[in-house]
Amino acid sequence: MFLINCPFCGEREQSEFKAGGEAHIERPKQPTELSDDEWAEFLFMRKNIKGVQFERWNHAHGCRKWFNIARDTSNDQIKAVYKMGEKPPVK
Amino acid sequence: MLNYNQVIKKEKSYQGLQMNEIRPVMKLIVRGKSREFLSAIGKSLNMVLPTKSNTSTQSEKLTALWLSPDEWMIFSNGVVEENTNTYDTEIILNKNICKLNLGAIIDVTDQYVRIILKGDKIFDLFQTGSPFNFNEFRNKIGSVTQTIIAKIDVIIHNQNQNEVNLFVRRSFSEHLFSWMNDSASRL
Repeated sequence: MFLINCPFCGEREQSEFKAGGEAHIERPKQPTELSDDEWAEFLFMRKNIKGVQFERWNHAHGCRKWFNIARDTSNDQIKAVYKMGEKPPVK
Repeated sequence: MLNYNQVIKKEKSYQGLQMNEIRPVMKLIVRGKSREFLSAIGKSLNMVLPTKSNTSTQSEKLTALWLSPDEWMIFSNGVVEENTNTYDTEIILNKNICKLNLGAIIDVTDQYVRIILKGDKIFDLFQTGSPFNFNEFRNKIGSVTQTIIAKIDVIIHNQNQNEVNLFVRRSFSEHLFSWMNDSASRL
């Protein structure tokens, strides 16, 4: 359990949020030209690193807005919170 | 209001806490982003929508709650006519907002139940089942939050000193009310 600082509502408990997986994965510009391996890479392969990871979160039981956070997966420390469409902060 | 069976039939009283439903109350969800939308709402209702997060504004007849940067709930301060589903506020907003494509107006009168809680034990009750920190919230009259109580989504509006509005979806209201009664009896 940890607190997340929603960019719209302020600090709330994690149970109000839903995790939305890794952030900044771009949809291929020409999906029809992709090989099966490249599709699999886009659809299923995630980094899942130990350390700071950029993730999408949704304040499901609050304002229902999506945003990004940079979370250290080893100790759940949140390094940064930034809105959708913004660039990730430099580490 | 549609002809539903009322779930919360009696006012319940405990030491330092009273709970009952207020009905029928008109409730609308308004959504929109643009500056034109905000000024059109202001002109139509003669009130300003709160743009600061977790706050509310009030006029003589209506209260507007901030739900998200582009979403608000407007409800009538008093009760409305029971045998109708058309409300003047909705008609005005439909004309000035929806028809001009500025935003969306949704009637949620029958979707939400408004429970009013009074007394000095309100937040002690909430704290037994909510992850939200009410320490600052309880001292700010007019503050609004959406959170969870006993795993149920609720909208809480700090209307006055020791007087709180709680909005919950109708299908969850019976369970939440019985849960709150159970919890209040042990405070």
